[in-house]
Amino acid sequence: MLVDILEWNGVATWSWDVPSEEVCGICRVSFDATCSNCKIPGDQCPLVVGECTHRFHMHCIVKWLEIETSKNLCPMCRRSFKAVHGEKQLGGSQVLSYIESFNFEG
Amino acid sequence: MSTPARRRLMRDLKVDPPDGVSASPLTDNVMIWNAIIIGPADTPFEDGTFRLSINFDEQYPNKPPQVKFLSTMFHPNVYASGELCLDILQNRWSPTFDVASILTSVQSLLNDPNISSPANVEAANLYKDHTSQYAKRVRETVEKSWADDLMDNEDDDEMEE
Ligand SMILES: [Zn+2]
Ligand SMILES: [Zn+2]
Ligand SMILES: [Zn+2]
Repeated sequence: MLVDILEWNGVATWSWDVPSEEVCGICRVSFDATCSNCKIPGDQCPLVVGECTHRFHMHCIVKWLEIETSKNLCPMCRRSFKAVHGEKQLGGSQVLSYIESFNFEG
Repeated sequence: MSTPARRRLMRDLKVDPPDGVSASPLTDNVMIWNAIIIGPADTPFEDGTFRLSINFDEQYPNKPPQVKFLSTMFHPNVYASGELCLDILQNRWSPTFDVASILTSVQSLLNDPNISSPANVEAANLYKDHTSQYAKRVRETVEKSWADDLMDNEDDDEMEE
């Protein structure tokens, strides 16, 4: 018998450790969902937290920091944006290379 | 076609603009919005119905939109072309701004001009030194904004004939 799969629901769920209503200040999409640059739900769309404690979807903050006029400033507090990851503190282009490595490892 | 910029603008649509401001995209193009700012009470701009256009490109919200007054303005920070000189639309832009916050800033700029780098020198000088003259010139634009509204309505009538 041939079965057409009309709908598929993943059973594994996870969420970032943030209030579920909290949205990314750049794309206005919840942190539980992928950002508006991601086309497929489930695309890897991690959060990046800054030293200033502001957080964004990785894709959203990278797109902003790539633009020259961002001057590497946090969109919320206009302090220099440095991504925090455990012991590591990264700034400027380091954020980008860190994020790339994150992409490949993840 | 859905793009990050368009998806963001669909979310902007759900944010209520501040009091005295209305804004909506063209029915067939979410990248172009029309807005009306009512002049704030207790200012020379009181009750004016000032129209603006807001043009977004695909870089939004990483780049600011182009905001322009369609109504004739007399204001230190508005060029004759209707374009505005407003820091948050230039070097202090942040991708966390949305249509509502842009219009809030434009609204508060009306009665709180920045005199240090005027786009309209005459307006800046009158604002500084000849307050009543300044108010008179602004009131003229307020009346013009009403006349423009009336003309638009007449245009509509003609269309129906
Ligand atoms: Zn985002
Ligand atoms: Zn994403
Ligand atoms: Zn910050």
